[in-house]
Amino acid sequence: MSLAGLSFNALPPIRLPFRFFITAPIFILLCTGLIAYSGPDLWLGRWQPPMLALVHGFTLGFLTMVMLGALLQLLPVIAGIGIPHPELLAPLTHGLLSVGTLMLLWGFLQFHSSFILAAMWLIAIGLGIYISALFWVLIKHISQGDSLLGFRLAISSLLVVVLLGLALLGRYLGIEWIPPSKHLTNVHALWGLVGWAGILIIAVSYQVIPMFHVAPSFPLIVRRFLTPLIFIGLLLSIALPSYSLPALSLLQGLFALVLLLVIHRRKRKVPDTSIRYWQLGASALLLTSVLFFIPEGIWNEYLDIDKTLLLTALFMYLYLMSIIEGMLLKILPFLSYTHLQQRCLIDFTAMQYIPNMHEFFDKRHGQWLFYSHVISGLILIWVLFQPSYYFIFAIALVLESTGLLVIMLKTMKLYFAVDKKISQAAKDRVEPPTASFKNT
Amino acid sequence: MTSIPDYMTAKHRECDEVFSLAESNAAAGDWLLAAKNWQAFKDELLTHFGQEEETLFPAFEQATGMTNGPTHVMRMEHQQMRALLQDIDQAMKGQDKNTYLGLSETLMVMMQQHNMKEEMMLYPMMAQHLSQGEDIIESFKA
Ligand SMILES: [Fe+2]
Ligand SMILES: [Fe+2]
Repeated sequence: MSLAGLSFNALPPIRLPFRFFITAPIFILLCTGLIAYSGPDLWLGRWQPPMLALVHGFTLGFLTMVMLGALLQLLPVIAGIGIPHPELLAPLTHGLLSVGTLMLLWGFLQFHSSFILAAMWLIAIGLGIYISALFWVLIKHISQGDSLLGFRLAISSLLVVVLLGLALLGRYLGIEWIPPSKHLTNVHALWGLVGWAGILIIAVSYQVIPMFHVAPSFPLIVRRFLTPLIFIGLLLSIALPSYSLPALSLLQGLFALVLLLVIHRRKRKVPDTSIRYWQLGASALLLTSVLFFIPEGIWNEYLDIDKTLLLTALFMYLYLMSIIEGMLLKILPFLSYTHLQQRCLIDFTAMQYIPNMHEFFDKRHGQWLFYSHVISGLILIWVLFQPSYYFIFAIALVLESTGLLVIMLKTMKLYFAVDKKISQAAKDRVEPPTASFKNT
Repeated sequence: MTSIPDYMTAKHRECDEVFSLAESNAAAGDWLLAAKNWQAFKDELLTHFGQEEETLFPAFEQATGMTNGPTHVMRMEHQQMRALLQDIDQAMKGQDKNTYLGLSETLMVMMQQHNMKEEMMLYPMMAQHLSQGEDIIESFKA
């Protein structure tokens, strides 16, 4: 651990994470259009091209988009340094990933090889830049903490997802890097959902839940071994899926239980929507891992639905998306406040212009969004059983993503208004900053 | 003997707990109990700031020669939190629940991002650079 380069207030400009965040609900809106346009056939199986497009719109356009934006701000706090040249790299990755994802969706829908090829290049370069920058940070990091190991494993998983994804796409173009197999597609999906998204969420939860909700720390044995074991399980899934899947499911269920327990034992019980998102997510994760152990034979006897499809939907929509949406609600006002507060380190009197957290983000809006997510999640499960009601899901999704978009825009608008006020006050002020510091 | 990171981190947690008590009291409208716990929280937090500003930070600055680095930022953030404490005092006096909860959420955010930087970077560095760290902690306990 070295002292060089340690700068506590070196947060990258706030418009960089904002740019990632604001794109996310727009991709959900796009997904909604796809759901409305594709009709009930979309839900018949996992291998339909519109379903591939939908899943990638959601995972790349929403989940990955938010996670990359959040990492931009989390790393300076958790690792002590941020990614190098954020002003250049972040917009570049954001642009390449956004356009690349659009091309990919279009390529899937139209079987258009030139779009697929373009998507491969754009996504490979966009995510490649970001992954390299993240690895650089995690090698040079100057802090200590249990979350760092999880971050390393999550980012390594992302690398695997991208490489495997590229190889699978190559097959569309007749490039046979890998043999044709649905197994490798499953491995790709597993590394994305359980590795990249799942491990990152676990690592973040170790940090966020005890600190912001005054809960006990996660048990040491969990913090040490859970994420490496999941990673080993993912490695094994390549060669021995029949052993590794139950193990992974067990580990996920274990995490869900510990998470619920830690949340339950929190000391700060003031009503908070983001904790309800965590509880919803943990419950959905627990349900997913319990359902996994129902034998296929019994499942098919009682349930008229593809098991993998239902479990994946539960995991993606009611676990991953719940946590990510809940974190967005926390991170937006948090970032806005922290950025403005850091500005006021130099000009102490300007603190008076900064709104409090509830002014940055109206609690009722958060509750509204939470209920709309619960409802849209339940409708999604219903549509999996009754695909002809797909349109109701599309409507619920439009309402939810528009709500999220509006909440974000309101917070951002307030941020920039206050930011301007502080700059104006600095211009108007005649005394040197040291004098005003003494006055307060 | 307790190390700097262990002792100071435990103090952060203790502050958080009393803070949460006062917050739940205020949310429930029990202003009498809220005022008592709020005072206890303030006392504990200000003692902690004092230990950092008067003992630990100077020792670290002396050992590393970094006077304008992280400790400078930490001191300024302490000032900002002291100002927030005063705002919350006002809300407490006026029994203004909404303002109190809005400001306490704000203080929580500021405290946690501050504590995170200390716990993950500054305290471990202190443990590394201050040979008399455990003696300092003993003097805090006395
Ligand atoms: Fe401090
Ligand atoms: Fe401290």
